[in-house]
Amino acid sequence: MQKVPLPERPGWRERATELGFTFADMGGEPYWDETSAYRFSLRQIEDDIEDPSTELHGMVREAVATALASDEWLERMQIPQQFWDFLADSWKDGEPELYGRMDLSYDGHGPAKLLEYNADTPTSLYESASFQWDWLEEQQRLGVLTADTDQFNALHEALVARWAEIAAPDTDIHFAADPDNPEDYATVEALAWAAREAGLGAHFTSLAAIGLTEEGQFADDQDRVIGTLFKLYPWEDMLRDEFAAHLGPSGVRFIEPPWKAVVSNKALLPLLWQMFPGHPNLLPAFFAADVAEALTGGAPATRVANAFAAAQDVLQQGHVSKPIFSREGAGVVIREQGRETDRAPDDSYDDHPRIIQALAPLPEFGGFHAVIGAWIVGESCVGMGIREDASRITHNLSRFKPHYIED
Amino acid sequence: MTEKLQTRTGIPPAPRKRSRHVALFLAGAAVMTLAACEDDKTDAAAFPDLDSCVSEARKGSLFFTEQDCQTQFAQAQQDYLETAPRYESQELCEQEHGAGNCGGDPAQAQSGGGMGSIFMPLFMGYMLGSMMGGGRGISSQPMVKTAQGGFSTPSGNQSFASNRGVGKVPTSAFAKAPSTIGKPPMSRAQVSSRGGFGAASTARGGMRGAGG
Repeated sequence: MQKVPLPERPGWRERATELGFTFADMGGEPYWDETSAYRFSLRQIEDDIEDPSTELHGMVREAVATALASDEWLERMQIPQQFWDFLADSWKDGEPELYGRMDLSYDGHGPAKLLEYNADTPTSLYESASFQWDWLEEQQRLGVLTADTDQFNALHEALVARWAEIAAPDTDIHFAADPDNPEDYATVEALAWAAREAGLGAHFTSLAAIGLTEEGQFADDQDRVIGTLFKLYPWEDMLRDEFAAHLGPSGVRFIEPPWKAVVSNKALLPLLWQMFPGHPNLLPAFFAADVAEALTGGAPATRVANAFAAAQDVLQQGHVSKPIFSREGAGVVIREQGRETDRAPDDSYDDHPRIIQALAPLPEFGGFHAVIGAWIVGESCVGMGIREDASRITHNLSRFKPHYIED
Repeated sequence: MTEKLQTRTGIPPAPRKRSRHVALFLAGAAVMTLAACEDDKTDAAAFPDLDSCVSEARKGSLFFTEQDCQTQFAQAQQDYLETAPRYESQELCEQEHGAGNCGGDPAQAQSGGGMGSIFMPLFMGYMLGSMMGGGRGISSQPMVKTAQGGFSTPSGNQSFASNRGVGKVPTSAFAKAPSTIGKPPMSRAQVSSRGGFGAASTARGGMRGAGG
């Protein structure tokens, strides 16, 4: 894994505009940045990212079964009790997952570490699947990269195949998101392109315009009843909205399925560590409530005493604290050697319980900290996107960087 | 290059880790493009007031005349009075249309009241549509504010970022909304039949995208 300075493609901004990639620059700063790219070997991709991520997803599925069967875990995950059956039934019925993005700390050596799994509403999909792909094709055509180079990016094809697997031909899928947020909108649009290619009908509706019919079904902004709904809106919010009581009775099939509420929840991380302690791709993780005192000289909660003792030295050296619900790095605090060394400026999720996770610092390349986004479609890892930031905590304006494979 | 190709002859191509093709295009924030079964589109132009419509009509580049501006402005004001949503409290109205965007019911004021207080979103301009295909000439709709800071038709079935500009909108946007005049104003329970998603936020802070 190396960061390689490369010439930008002439006219790429015009190309981005023409394609509808309207947020290539955000807040006066580049969001898509191709002044350099990350180069990987095939072995790094396959052995360190692809296979471990697929394995992690399998472990996550085991953790889902455990969480859904445990009142205690559901409570700690702050899943409102009236929805426990709703979530558990979606799992028992085998409702299939569509996609997710694992954020990994990886520097080219040794096992990648799972920082968190956004398995419910991950964005940056268009950039990863499409604009990044186009970048490689064009750089090869321009002779900047050789024809032998490749990219870990089978996202679009995998999404088309997955849609075809999980929905009968001609099924109408509604895609709901906030139309005023270009990143969110681009993400559902990329998914909708894939759905169309899979022979499904794709319709957009503004999330806020969804209505409830007199029969208790959900209807889109044009009063069409919704059968299958992809929502770029977190389950944790869905379960707390005014329409929450109608989720089950509406008969809607939701994508992601309701059981994903326990996957995108950061309380999953302590659960994974409890189930697979010492796994090379996992970081020691605990509920802050169980270990906060122990980190300052007190005693840990009995239920985690042994596991904490085993991880104590690592955690003392450095750990990250984050709210169980949060997006885009909000609420993240880093402590090293007992001192707070970094804090995300956004504290909007701070009302929620926190987890503590051993620090796996993001590798620094030329003053930027890079985080790997490993894309899962269905149950397999099928692609990768990289974000980097001058800050150690990745956030919503962090740059997207293209990558290529060259041995 | 040639040499390289020759050495590869007979060797199956290396498996490739990327898609053979991808969908490159997005439509940006053109929301309608995803609606495959959307209805017919028509030319539309929106104005915050009569004057701006008239001055646009004088340029002669669009589909309506100065006279249309006048006629349709009067029509839109009339339709506003008949069809704009009516609420039983100012608080509820402002929740749906934003703070400062509501007022009392002018019809109620004229008739001398007597029904208790009724609140309506303010008239924020109008939208003209070219209905030439159906032989109906020019049609219009009043516009009111939305809670999200945009504008919408009285029924709320179409919303727009601005009350100024031209574009294509579904012809259904010009269908007259159900009459609300003289009807009991909406209570909180009636309002909640739409907009039941998107309000809850596990983040206590301000605006953010829902994705990550």
